[in-house]
Amino acid sequence: MSTKSIRIKRYLPEQAEEAFWQRYEVPVDDSTSLLDALNHVKEELDSSLSYRWSCRMAICGSCGVMVNGIPKLGCKTFLRDYPDEVRIEPLAHFPVRRDLMVDMEIFLEHLAAVKPWLIDEASNAAEPNRQTPAQLARYKQFANCINCGLCYSACPQFGLNPEFLGPAAIALAHRYNLDSRDHGKAQRMPELNRHEGVWSCTFVGFCSEVCPKHVDPAAAVNQGKVESAKHTLIALFRG
Amino acid sequence: MHPNERLPPLPRSWWLKHRYFIAYMVREATVLPLLFFAVCLLAGLIALLRGEASWMNWLAFMGSAPVLLLNGLALAASLYHAWTFFQLFPRVMPLRIAGRPLPHQAVVAAQWAGVAVVTLISLWLFMGGAR
Amino acid sequence: MQERDFDIVIVGGGGAGLRAAIAAAEQARKNGTHQRIALLSKVYPMRSHTVAAEGGAAAVTSAEDSLQAHFDDTVAGSDWLAEQGVVDYFVHHAHRELVQLERWGCPWSRQQDGSIQVRRFGGMKTARTWFAADKTGFHLLHTLFQTSLKYAEIERLDEYFVLDIAVHDGSVIGVIALQVASGELTLLRTKAVVLATGGAGRLFRFNTNAGIVTGDGMAIAYRHGVALRDMEFVQYHPTGLPGSGILITEACRGEGGILLNKDGYRYLQDYGLGPETPLGQPQNKFMELGPRDKLSQAFWQEQQAGRTGTFAGSDVVYLDLRHLGEAVLKERLPFICELAKSYINVDPVREPIPIRPAVHYTMGGIETDAECETRIKGLFAAGECASVGLHGANRLGSNSLTELLVFGRLAGERASQQAAQRDFADPHLIQEQAHRQQRSLATLCQGKSEENWVAVKRELIQTMESGCGIYRTEAGMRAALDSVRRLRERYRQVRVNDKSRIYNTELLECIELGFGLDIAEATCLGALERRESRGAHQRLDQDMQQRDDTRFLKHSLVFHHGDATAELQWQDVDVRFSAPAERVYGEAGSNTEGQRGARS
Repeated sequence: MSTKSIRIKRYLPEQAEEAFWQRYEVPVDDSTSLLDALNHVKEELDSSLSYRWSCRMAICGSCGVMVNGIPKLGCKTFLRDYPDEVRIEPLAHFPVRRDLMVDMEIFLEHLAAVKPWLIDEASNAAEPNRQTPAQLARYKQFANCINCGLCYSACPQFGLNPEFLGPAAIALAHRYNLDSRDHGKAQRMPELNRHEGVWSCTFVGFCSEVCPKHVDPAAAVNQGKVESAKHTLIALFRG
Repeated sequence: MHPNERLPPLPRSWWLKHRYFIAYMVREATVLPLLFFAVCLLAGLIALLRGEASWMNWLAFMGSAPVLLLNGLALAASLYHAWTFFQLFPRVMPLRIAGRPLPHQAVVAAQWAGVAVVTLISLWLFMGGAR
Repeated sequence: MQERDFDIVIVGGGGAGLRAAIAAAEQARKNGTHQRIALLSKVYPMRSHTVAAEGGAAAVTSAEDSLQAHFDDTVAGSDWLAEQGVVDYFVHHAHRELVQLERWGCPWSRQQDGSIQVRRFGGMKTARTWFAADKTGFHLLHTLFQTSLKYAEIERLDEYFVLDIAVHDGSVIGVIALQVASGELTLLRTKAVVLATGGAGRLFRFNTNAGIVTGDGMAIAYRHGVALRDMEFVQYHPTGLPGSGILITEACRGEGGILLNKDGYRYLQDYGLGPETPLGQPQNKFMELGPRDKLSQAFWQEQQAGRTGTFAGSDVVYLDLRHLGEAVLKERLPFICELAKSYINVDPVREPIPIRPAVHYTMGGIETDAECETRIKGLFAAGECASVGLHGANRLGSNSLTELLVFGRLAGERASQQAAQRDFADPHLIQEQAHRQQRSLATLCQGKSEENWVAVKRELIQTMESGCGIYRTEAGMRAALDSVRRLRERYRQVRVNDKSRIYNTELLECIELGFGLDIAEATCLGALERRESRGAHQRLDQDMQQRDDTRFLKHSLVFHHGDATAELQWQDVDVRFSAPAERVYGEAGSNTEGQRGARS
């Protein structure tokens, strides 16, 4: 087993005001993920290193970090793919609280703002709705978001204006708008129609590049623009 | 905790950090040579209205090397922009036939086919095919 | 120190916790009262381990199926150690809960006509498992989380780590937690508490579980005198990836995947699960669709006989999905394809997946009555942390996601009803207990000793694996129990190096280890004292290789006695509907069922 050096941007607010870089040597083999490396640092080299993690199988969305400037899940990033030194930083565009821990509150606020639940009068009915595989396929991709926040770190518009709802929240709104069982689109559109809704997006598209689950939030946001335009036009004609 | 506290604003050079952002900025910047071309066309229209001398001047202007270069750039920019746009289009307007989604490559290919057809018709018109 | 008042505090934001929170809110609305509900979790709810469940959730759905059949499968699967009244309640309420989830937007997989699609699962007589591709837990959790956002009365306390509950006069009166972001101690005064903190799979070295599955709630209730029940029953899932233990869902076999040893032989036919079913025609309760305990045990036998292969240093057998074809794999098992490709670089379309058993689920847990309440008034438990009595000695795959819903809802409703009848306790009573917590935190951080908690943790997981594995021996379990007790001693000397308050994750891991050590003792003690083989508890000792209903048709109850050793008692099992019978699968199983059918 060989070793590799990783550099981590540390921030310990109770000890120093400024962030600093620290280098660690970690053992690696073909299957060593970045998360394995961080766990090695914590257990063997420096127990003060703080980061989030849980499932280690790319489904819980905890372990997002910047790897050489690109947002990635630590558990799905393998050191074998990085021949040179690896730079690890906390997710961009979120306030850093300590080491690789960022404050995700604004992300959760944006998620909640789009009413991401099925809006349907008969929510307590005794029988399931019918939904054909084709109807399911219309929104399924957008239901696969794991809320990891990588897309927010990839989005310069969110970086420039954190009030922008952002890729994941809009994708989630779109997921429900496309669901054949939902009747809540009219309630969600005002939020999407705002400048901080879909219209802050300039289709940089990097959000979809970094998405570990191929949700393609950029597509959702821009489909949302079409919907928003339609919604506005219809409202105009209705007076 | 101040969850909504503002982070330091992104530096103006944020887009230089990654090639993906650079490509995005290039895409957005294609508007500049296209703007030049549009102004040229407008000037041509005005020259036509003003009379023959003016028109000849405009033709000479259009034939000068720097202007040819700029308009060549505009052509390249518009093709590049079209390429990016065509790639994005099927994602923004997912099309379905009989409930089945059309493959993205097919939509992209159809758009280029459209470009080819329009180009051919234009060439035919301007090369005197309509006469 | 923050102090807050909530009518109900739910600890844990996974499937059971979220379902309980929503149920409590609905119950209060129904009663025309306003109750404030705290949903406290050490991680954001959508990070909870429910997210990693893959295969599906069981409920009787098709016309050919029956509640009796689901009941019989569950009871036989439990090796007759399930509480039959509880199982009966469960099978009756399973379907409506899955429908409720559908009505909340869960993207269940569908048949062409738009009705619900079901798949086969191990130990179930017929296909009755609802699924959302192979990410059922993920979709279930996110649907519940998103639905919970509708309820203004549910206040989330994200990233609050529970340290303790406050109990006075046999009733729960509060919850003491640490706000992870600030390190601030938080006192929640309350009238009812629902523990929904998940299992304790991380006690074992090789497991399918997330890092957070450390049994916190189990240990907290246990320390307050609630028994941990049936803790010796630890489920080994037969198909984990070598190295990491990442879960490869049972749905692979439900869809028709087969298990091969290194010679390419379907070895399960040698372990009472045959005869071999034709390729592409899986048959319920035969071969690969046997229950998890039997399949993991068969792996062990093959390993002993030298018929396993090796992959990355692990002994493995092979899960072959190739005959299902790329289209089916992409539609039904996309996540499995992604996991196999990412983590072991195997493409299931082209190669069999090397797999081996890994600890997956804690069948035992906090003892509750049939309505999820513990011996402490107002303290409820639901989900994997609880032992409501559904799983007995072996859980059937796809019963636990449904359990989260059925018993999460029940616990939430009961908690709401209890809270409506009770008053807040005197705040001083909670403060007293909080000060005790503060002192013990200080001891952890300021201890003079040099004992390293990482070393203790590694020894613990090694001990549990060797002492409480798929097959167990008297000597092995005795050694494990002694070792755990020594580790508990050593734990009293450990010291946390990180002294900071903000996001001190070292401190949290160290506290989790303390919880784990207590639970480990209960597990080892239960295992040692159960001198028979039943379900997931299999002994190699002479005269203990069979089930012994005369002595051990009983639940084990382990009680905590502070720093002294734990104590074990036995509790009768509710067998009111179905008398214990031989537990058989494969051909023998269908013969038995045939006879039963003839009698009825």
